[in-house]
Amino acid sequence: MTAVRLSLRLGRWGLLGFSILAFAASLIQAVGFYQIAGHTAASRAAFAQSMSQVASQLTFILPPPTGLNTVGGYVEWRSFGGLAILFAVWALVSGSGAARGDEERGVVEAILATGLTPSRWLASRVIGYALTSPVGALAAGLGLVAGVAGGGESISLAPVLEICVALAALGLSCYSLTVLIAQLTGARVATAAAGVVLLALFLVNRLSQTFTWLASWRWISPFHYYDLNQPLAPGGAFDGRATLTLLGIAMVGAALAGMVFETRDIGAPLVRWPSRDRPAGYEPSRSPLWRIPVLRGLYERRAGLATWAAGLAAVGVLFVYLTRAVIQPLLSIPSLSHFFGGVVGGQLYTTFLGYIWLTFAQLLFAAFAISQVARWSAEDSDGRLEMVLSTPRSRAAIVVERAIALALGAALVASVSGVAVAVAAHYQAMDVSSERLAEGTLLLVPFVLVFAAAGAVLAAWNPRAAVGLLGGLAFASYLVNELGPLFKWPTWIQDLSAFKLYGTPLSTGIDRWGLVIMIAIILVGFGASILLMERRDVGA
Amino acid sequence: MKFEVPQLHGAYMLREMAVSAIRTSKLSKDYGVGRGLFDLDLEVASQEVFGYLGPNGAGKTTTIRLLMGMIKPSAGAAYVFGLDCRRDYVEVKRKVGYLPGDMPQFGSLRGKEVVAYLGGMRGGADPKAVRSIAERFDLDLNRRFREYSSGNKRKLGILLAFMHRPDLLILDEPTNGLDPLNQQEFYDLLRETRDGGATVFLSSHVLSEVEHVCDRVGIVRAGKLVRVARLDELRAAGETSLEQIFLSYYSDTDQHQKALPG
Repeated sequence: MTAVRLSLRLGRWGLLGFSILAFAASLIQAVGFYQIAGHTAASRAAFAQSMSQVASQLTFILPPPTGLNTVGGYVEWRSFGGLAILFAVWALVSGSGAARGDEERGVVEAILATGLTPSRWLASRVIGYALTSPVGALAAGLGLVAGVAGGGESISLAPVLEICVALAALGLSCYSLTVLIAQLTGARVATAAAGVVLLALFLVNRLSQTFTWLASWRWISPFHYYDLNQPLAPGGAFDGRATLTLLGIAMVGAALAGMVFETRDIGAPLVRWPSRDRPAGYEPSRSPLWRIPVLRGLYERRAGLATWAAGLAAVGVLFVYLTRAVIQPLLSIPSLSHFFGGVVGGQLYTTFLGYIWLTFAQLLFAAFAISQVARWSAEDSDGRLEMVLSTPRSRAAIVVERAIALALGAALVASVSGVAVAVAAHYQAMDVSSERLAEGTLLLVPFVLVFAAAGAVLAAWNPRAAVGLLGGLAFASYLVNELGPLFKWPTWIQDLSAFKLYGTPLSTGIDRWGLVIMIAIILVGFGASILLMERRDVGA
Repeated sequence: MKFEVPQLHGAYMLREMAVSAIRTSKLSKDYGVGRGLFDLDLEVASQEVFGYLGPNGAGKTTTIRLLMGMIKPSAGAAYVFGLDCRRDYVEVKRKVGYLPGDMPQFGSLRGKEVVAYLGGMRGGADPKAVRSIAERFDLDLNRRFREYSSGNKRKLGILLAFMHRPDLLILDEPTNGLDPLNQQEFYDLLRETRDGGATVFLSSHVLSEVEHVCDRVGIVRAGKLVRVARLDELRAAGETSLEQIFLSYYSDTDQHQKALPG
């Protein structure tokens, strides 16, 4: 019981943060439904029709919708569909931290020294998450209920509770899978390995809507069992078997993880590769790159940059195939082909690819920026910054070097993914404007730097809180871009969003005003970061 | 004559600042509720090995971080070879080798990469010095930082502090985690460095270590410097062991008074 209490305590900030996000997401979508769809049957039918067109473009990220003319159907698709990703991320972060992060920090060793067995400790962490995940899911349900009440209507609580149960079960199954994968790998790669597996399971389910050959593999994905639950939409129902399957995945995953944890050594993966016998060395590295400012930063994180570049290139190629699979059937219909030719000036492939690929790429590049800011914060808290500042380098020079290294790293990752997309489009015989693609790809660099500039200010002001605050800022920025046009918010508010400033370069070209604002934010942000760094205490 | 007095005074000050490796004037860092460092007046001459003694939480690390310009003083000033530690911190660090109390984490970087990385920030590490120190401590630089034991991490820290042959070494509890053989090796290195013309400022709570290597000691208690003395003077005056002197400052005191950190 004490171990479970400790697990709850260790996860309290995650619970708070993700519950707030879940509540806000459902509340905003419910309120948005009434704002946009109105209250008459006719206006809601028109809204449902337009939303179903949007849904067809978002099949790679959201489930197929049902009953979009009702608040339940709309929120189930738009909010609870997206919350599946949010809860998977929560499970990934929390699970990898519980399985290996605490081990790295020595927490697990101290706890096992009290006599608790590894499997019991792991079970207490899973139980801890099993208790917190429903709270986060209920927060989402509460947001829906509050939004519906704000719209002057009411909603039956039973289906709301049912979707919350399904969401909590999905989170728990993702958590157990993360904990299991983290036992098999080294501590450093546990989060990445579990993230790759969860992403693959997510994509298998989502892409099976487009690629029929993937449909036979859908059963392996927990997200599939979550999608089978549609209690909020008219005619939909809670699928008890699917939810039990999710809980079964969670129990089996946790049991296997416990068995592996009993078998492996603390601090080591289950299978350890024999280390190469290399002679002792007493010389410093001879690579000249360590002496060159900026390049040394890129060289140091070469493995991470290569992973980001390869991963984004792979996702980009996947989106090219997705575009082809969606657009080709439409173009085979003569009337539709004529219609699209008139609407988007014959640049259908360019426009569609720009919409789905660059929209997704923005999210990934925002994550890239956050990961780099997390690195700056970690350098501060683990004493590396103090060591770097013991060399004759000014604090301003360190901030500038970080910014340039990040810009070059982002340019490298963007270029590799852009080239991969261009090559894949060429081999798919898709007519994509290479000039626009290059512009859109390179525009991702200032986009990354906008988040990095905000992160630099936060990291200089409060390094411990920087990542959380920047994540919240990115989420708010995304929401402003999504909701601003719907609620007709003033332009200046919408311009606060980096996603809005990025624009739609593949279909409408570079938004020069947006680019100017982005550059201004970057300069002001890094300038402020330098001022804060010069004044703050380091290592205290 | 009235004209000459300030001139002489200025010249005297300049000479003093040139001679002193470290000089602090009313140096304070107030963390509130009585914690921190208060009114520290200290002078360490060139080519001196100065031991800075105090129990945990007395203010040793705070003093060192102020000297390194990592933290901003609440009042007073600190100078290294006449350079203001806050204003001229870049110049100060050209002359200083620094070993922090807790080794930073360099993750999967190899020892040789850490040396090249921080050496590169100084404009390049001296390969001869690196090789000499690494061999002396039998520190395998081909291994990854995360594979190092705590003792090896400490050895790497010592290597990083000494590798550019600095004029002043500021070392925060340098032998923490070192085995007795390597401690002895470190003391030898310290003496050689001092004989080579460098100054050493080291904090410690290991009294035997300070007695072993230091010319002079300063004892800090609850953020205040309570005594500075030469070890040979203490011995000549027939004072009891350093341990007894040290304990005499703490036997009747508020051991529970807090000073942060170090």
